[in-house]
Amino acid sequence: MSDKGSKGRPRSVGVPSHAVAFYIAAVVLCALGLAVLGWRTRPLNHHDVVPLVVLCAMGVLGSSSQERNVGGRIGFSFTSIILLAAVAILGPFGAAVVGTVAHLLELNKHPFQVRVFNSGMTSAFGAVGGFVYVLTDGAIGATGVSGVGPILIHVGAPLMLADVVICLLNAVILSGIVRLTQGTPMRRFVLGMLGTSGPVYVGYGVIGFLFVILWAPAGVGPASAVLILAPLFVARWAFVQYGDQQRAHERSLSALVAAVETKDLYTRGHSERVALLCDLMAGSLTLSQQDTEALRFAGMLHDIGKLAIPTRVLRKGDGLLDADLAIIATHPERGFEMVRDIDFLKGSFEAILHHHERMDGRGYPDGLVGEDIPLFARIISVADAFDSLTTSRAHREAYTVEEALTELQRRAGTHFDPTIVSALERGLARQIWTPTQLEPALMATAGRAFDHDDPSASDLMTGIASPAPVGHTPKIMAAVPAREDAR
Amino acid sequence: MSVGARSLKIEAIIRVLGVALALGTIVAVGVHFHEAAMLPVAPVVGAFFVAIVIGEMFTVTLPGSRLTAPMATAAALAFAMTVDSPKTPSESYEGVLVVAVTAIAMVIGSIPHVVRGRPVRLPDLANRLIGIAVAALLFRWLPISHGRDVLDLQAGWPPYVLALVMVLVSALALTIQVFLLASVRAGRSHAPFVRTLEDEFRAALGLTAALSATGTLIALAERPLGIVAIPLFLFPLVLTQFAVRRHSAIRRTYRQTIRTLSRLTELAGYTETGHASRVAELSIAMGHELGMSERDVLDLEYAALLHDIGQVSLTEPIPGGATVLAAPADQRRIAHDGAEIVLQTGVLDNVALILEAQTTPYRQVRELGQDLPLASRIIKVCNAYDDLTGEGADAARSNAAIERIHLGLGYEYDPRVVDALIHVLARGQ
Repeated sequence: MSDKGSKGRPRSVGVPSHAVAFYIAAVVLCALGLAVLGWRTRPLNHHDVVPLVVLCAMGVLGSSSQERNVGGRIGFSFTSIILLAAVAILGPFGAAVVGTVAHLLELNKHPFQVRVFNSGMTSAFGAVGGFVYVLTDGAIGATGVSGVGPILIHVGAPLMLADVVICLLNAVILSGIVRLTQGTPMRRFVLGMLGTSGPVYVGYGVIGFLFVILWAPAGVGPASAVLILAPLFVARWAFVQYGDQQRAHERSLSALVAAVETKDLYTRGHSERVALLCDLMAGSLTLSQQDTEALRFAGMLHDIGKLAIPTRVLRKGDGLLDADLAIIATHPERGFEMVRDIDFLKGSFEAILHHHERMDGRGYPDGLVGEDIPLFARIISVADAFDSLTTSRAHREAYTVEEALTELQRRAGTHFDPTIVSALERGLARQIWTPTQLEPALMATAGRAFDHDDPSASDLMTGIASPAPVGHTPKIMAAVPAREDAR
Repeated sequence: MSVGARSLKIEAIIRVLGVALALGTIVAVGVHFHEAAMLPVAPVVGAFFVAIVIGEMFTVTLPGSRLTAPMATAAALAFAMTVDSPKTPSESYEGVLVVAVTAIAMVIGSIPHVVRGRPVRLPDLANRLIGIAVAALLFRWLPISHGRDVLDLQAGWPPYVLALVMVLVSALALTIQVFLLASVRAGRSHAPFVRTLEDEFRAALGLTAALSATGTLIALAERPLGIVAIPLFLFPLVLTQFAVRRHSAIRRTYRQTIRTLSRLTELAGYTETGHASRVAELSIAMGHELGMSERDVLDLEYAALLHDIGQVSLTEPIPGGATVLAAPADQRRIAHDGAEIVLQTGVLDNVALILEAQTTPYRQVRELGQDLPLASRIIKVCNAYDDLTGEGADAARSNAAIERIHLGLGYEYDPRVVDALIHVLARGQ
């Protein structure tokens, strides 16, 4: 899935099946045929030797320096830019050669099969791009073209058309291999890829065009490569740094939060698992990337407010008093107070504040009902309960996934949002979830410590009679500080 | 104190120089204005003017709160180096005009910032203008051989030589900018000049390369394309600017997160309110004072913010959270637990090292030759000082704290670090 949106090597070509081998052979044969046709359309002459060598070298450099998956969906392909330049400077055959060489000699250690496939595919791109360029009256080598108008008509426009065709071809050829290896429907893959990398290809086209102008009409020649690629390399460097920092940020946040949470023995690893479950449900609910991220952070931080709860209350066993429950019930508000200064968590605030609300309005802190509860809070509420149930406790075994889902369904409508519960079901159908077995030593220490995430605890805290170890009175809610405190 | 005074002087000189350059060139252009001479170059000059104005509107703050205007700078560099949009060099415009037009464009481009209440720093603008003036001077005025400047000579050069010269001229102009900026910053942060210069160059390297290349690109493409070259060739730089902006944003977010996390121990009742951020602030000032690099200062800042995180492993908080009063064994355990926690992130290894050693007494360096990070020694002193003074320290409490730290001089604390503390505190008063 993460592959979509960027051009190039299908990473999962690991198990060579006959169909895949056949597909690759077909692509390579087509590429060869196109190259021959390219030579017959416009053979290279001795003037082309220097540009060919320089562009091939740059192509190898470009494909070798490609780093995938930099900061979300941003990825650069220098090879695409160089290929386009080759189309305009050398024509179909030259571009096919550049495409072949760029991936065949790349310095990355890819399996032979992947290398061959990429070479064949890129070579075909070069040849087809070259044909489009020639057919739309593009001037190869951009020779004899001067003035703004002619440059745009005889270099710019043909090159952009070639770019569009290459982009389409890329999506189609890749969708074939992805269909064979991963079973993704071709149509969906093509549309997805055009949506994400279409605009990037426009950028490649523009930069390729600039490259050609500088090379021929401005007469700078091969040296133009250094000039045009310098800002791009800096951009790429900054993106890589950005990606690194983003990962570092997320890891620091989760690790430090996890550490700080160690006070509550049952919470260990819980937040991270809730974040994972949130991710799973975001997939089923088709949330945007940005929302998914906010949800994940909210999941990670939903119980951070427990820090402000005295350890002795958290570790207390059976003798929990109503007053203690009331203190525990303040943790969503405490958590909200703690994180509200962090700008990038803005999307997560509400979810943290309301993750213990119930559909029937008997949750805390505000007693919101149904759809009034923010979506993220409803999601976390389900994830929270599910993880609590599928984790072993001193007084019971961990529920199996099925048992836990049955329990959640039983509570759907009153406690949980039914659509979210079914989203979790769908998510779990895609991914195996192993119930968490706490270490015996940890369980021994934790003893019968109160687990506020257990759905039955929610009943207890709203004042509904339910199989629960502790008596209760409705005054608990009265003891919870008013919401104005938190705001 | 003398360092600070000198920096103020340098800042004043830059400011005066910038204003003088702007006014002087504008007056010179006004006095020698010939409509006939201006007419052929008017479109080019106008296009560059617009590009610089727009570029000034889109500033980028690099990590370390360095304000830059990449697109304006690239356009202005190209302006200074454009060769032959008018047909013959004799009809070309003078360097004076470049500086005057750039100055006016910069001021106009800054208006939106002023309107929106964002700070516009005059030394930054002046510094940028000086850089552009250097480029114009080198390219359009400085006699290189037989009294002829680059603009006259380039007609006989192949394009790649011209490209090389342009890159060199831009790089030199930008280097001078970095140099001036470093002298201003060195004074502000009270750090040694050479160290600051190194930091500035490291921070500016990428963007300098991109700007030199883009300035050159535009100037070269002017010839075949005319003014269309300006927006077209600024396009790759837009991408660069976008990437750089994202990078600085995530760096700021990261910092904010660590700051907030450092307050979690306070909210949980382990440490006194504001302790971590006060220790961090003091540590940063001392890191600069002791000539640490920007990277090391960042590690120091994070370590200072998180130095008490190990306390979360305690079941019950220490009274007042003051580790300086805890038993040495407890102090060491807290430090160790903190380092372990930070190590879990997998990305803050340096910070973990600093935390691990934050309680080690200085005598172990002297007696056992143990290698103790400077950052750890700084945090040890700052932590002790803040534990002893607390919030809103007055002079009496501050003096008492210093006295108490003096008792451990050479044994507990590194004398050089304690000296730095005294310097920093003296400056603050």
